[in-house]
Amino acid sequence: MEGAKLAPSRFGGEVVGQLRQARTAFVAAPIGRILSVLVLLMIVYVLFVLLTRIFDRGGGYFLQIMIFGVANGAIYALVALGYTMVYGIIELINFAHGDLFTLGGFISLFLLPIVGADESKAGTAAVILPLIVVFLATMAICGAINVTIERVAYRPLRHAPRVAPLITAIGMSFILEGLMFLWKGPFNLHYPNLLPAASFAIAEATIHLRDIFVIVIAVILMIVLSIFVSRSTLGKAMRATAQDQDATELMGIDINRTIAATFFIGAVLAGAGGTIFGLYYNTVVFDLGFSAGLFAFTAAVFGGIGNIQGAALGGLLIGIIIAFSDGYFESAWTQVVIFGILILVLVFRPTGLLGMRVPEK
Amino acid sequence: MQRRWYTAGSIIAGLAMLATACTGGTGGGGGGGTTSGEIIIARNQPTSGGDASDGLPAQNGIQFAVESKGTIKGFKLTFKAWDDTVNGTHDPQKGAQNIQEMIADAKILGMVGPNNSNVARAQIPIANRANFAMISAANTNECLTQTFDYCEKDTGSTPAKLRPNGTNNYFRIAAADTFQGPAAADFAVDTLKATKVAVWSDNETFGKGVADKFTAELVKKGGTVVARQDFDTKVTNDWKPFLTDAKNKGAQAVYAGATSGTKICIPRAQMKGILDVPYMVPDGGVNTQCIKDAADNAANMYGTVAAADANQNPDAKATIDAFTKRFPKKEDVGSYTFPAMDCANILIDAIGRAIDANGGKMPTREQVVKAVSETKAFKGTTGTYTFDKNGDPTSPTMAIFQTKGTDWAFVKQFGVGG
Repeated sequence: MEGAKLAPSRFGGEVVGQLRQARTAFVAAPIGRILSVLVLLMIVYVLFVLLTRIFDRGGGYFLQIMIFGVANGAIYALVALGYTMVYGIIELINFAHGDLFTLGGFISLFLLPIVGADESKAGTAAVILPLIVVFLATMAICGAINVTIERVAYRPLRHAPRVAPLITAIGMSFILEGLMFLWKGPFNLHYPNLLPAASFAIAEATIHLRDIFVIVIAVILMIVLSIFVSRSTLGKAMRATAQDQDATELMGIDINRTIAATFFIGAVLAGAGGTIFGLYYNTVVFDLGFSAGLFAFTAAVFGGIGNIQGAALGGLLIGIIIAFSDGYFESAWTQVVIFGILILVLVFRPTGLLGMRVPEK
Repeated sequence: MQRRWYTAGSIIAGLAMLATACTGGTGGGGGGGTTSGEIIIARNQPTSGGDASDGLPAQNGIQFAVESKGTIKGFKLTFKAWDDTVNGTHDPQKGAQNIQEMIADAKILGMVGPNNSNVARAQIPIANRANFAMISAANTNECLTQTFDYCEKDTGSTPAKLRPNGTNNYFRIAAADTFQGPAAADFAVDTLKATKVAVWSDNETFGKGVADKFTAELVKKGGTVVARQDFDTKVTNDWKPFLTDAKNKGAQAVYAGATSGTKICIPRAQMKGILDVPYMVPDGGVNTQCIKDAADNAANMYGTVAAADANQNPDAKATIDAFTKRFPKKEDVGSYTFPAMDCANILIDAIGRAIDANGGKMPTREQVVKAVSETKAFKGTTGTYTFDKNGDPTSPTMAIFQTKGTDWAFVKQFGVGG
């Protein structure tokens, strides 16, 4: 799996070095040390409370919450992959990515009736083929849109100051949201419930086929992506571009084509994620991408930005943390917990859980 | 040089603001005397965001009232609409900006709205300084009109603070939340026989308030809240952990303190296959959007509405028929359409009396506020209204609805309070 990372395992860039120095200075100071101990005690306390609650509520409940968390996290992971790939290759936080995820939901919602998938056929074999068609079409359309966005809004600014493409990315996010708002209005849209309602019981947990469906599709897509990046020529070109753009260009690799391919693949995953979200939660709304995108970006940083396995792991962890926070603690604390963990991870491990992979300077 | 330009700029900006403030002020008092021949009724509803499913039907009611009246004592009646939505949800700052624009137009003698209590809280002080009459059909937060010791802490304001000039300019015909949450709890225990209830809220003034009052009444009646969560609904998509928790703790019903703008009925759809018990919502969920969001799990939902149902009033039939002819679509009418229509008619009636009091001339805004406060036994489509000194209706009504197919069907209604 080592080969699937976008860049080799040496930490790139002075940024990482500076972060490490800052961390060292912080931890070395006496106040910093006391704070570290306090934080550690707090974490131990929270884990202790969590464990007692898990023990109190029993294994069935734990398994149930875990399944919800993993399913939710799998969707975040798909979105996080797009953030991490684009960041890994051109160091751009593509803020419009969350909205491409929403757009995936909208496009598949539009396509489903066209291929004749409606709720009367829910859970039957008759929806399998239409669903595959819708998945592929949505992924292709999202990919094409993202390549266009890259061509129009990011490529001309590739050598501009860093803040310029960042602002166009935010602009793109609002444009996509605005277009979806104009297309379908401000309401929560009902997304057809096509997945089988069947379920089975393990311990006291009820596991629905739809939970399994989400997890399986997400895992398949991530494995395909991993193999693609590590084995294919284009994947190799992507890894090379991430490592050193100029050298790659000198080697005769078309940088523009490689970067466009990265945007295409990221959007393909986002489109699939949007479709899975719709099928799983049976609702989409035009501004869904804002919060989903923020969480997915957090997942990417959490796992180590630029690192594909990191994004998958980060997404999964975020989903599980949300489910545990909702299931065992106060939901009002969920965001405090997530971003608290994010800050702690970045302070003590600035490169994220699995290490970041960014272009070398 | 640059600094000098800067100073000059700020002086000009300051003067401009002062001028606007002054016209706003004199617009309030100095509207009298002119006989422009036109009086405008302002409307302020969320008409584009997630709350549009509540706001648009209410707006239709107001539009119908103004259109069918046409003129009042020789003055032409027209209406002008403001939307308080920003980024898809109702926004207090936008509401504050809207009311300043209304006050700046001397032909506008009062407004109907807003829809949401937090918007009202931002608007009332501005309107109050200009003696500008506001009548809302749907604001239910009790701290807008009544003084409780928790108002300052929970809402950051008190009725006295909201009314800096000392006289009341804000009226409503909805029953306050002191009735809505408890009415739902009574219904849960007495009718649904549910004493173990899971409660969630959107953590907003309205949603959390109504959920807390539901809880208090439930406990008073011997029931228990088995699970309670306050969600940030902007980032929450998955209610299943909460619902599973509720199921494991034996919940016999779920109560949601939220609105359509805060995904009130999305959890209802997710309850399918997890928890098959009644789902109860306050008035923010009694609309078509909620039924759409609940999808194939829309059955067995109950909702409270803080106003009477016009359909239960035989005298209102002709009005309802005429309204349905003018606005035929199903989503055109909601639980606050007829209450909002009544508010508009109360305001128009009061403007009529104020014109008489001013000898047939354009009345001042003070005269309009005074006339609204003197409203006695006004017969509307949803009830007969008289205001108390706080601006509340003297005999508010609560109605309970339940889902039947893809509609909300009337269950019962009853008078609450004094």
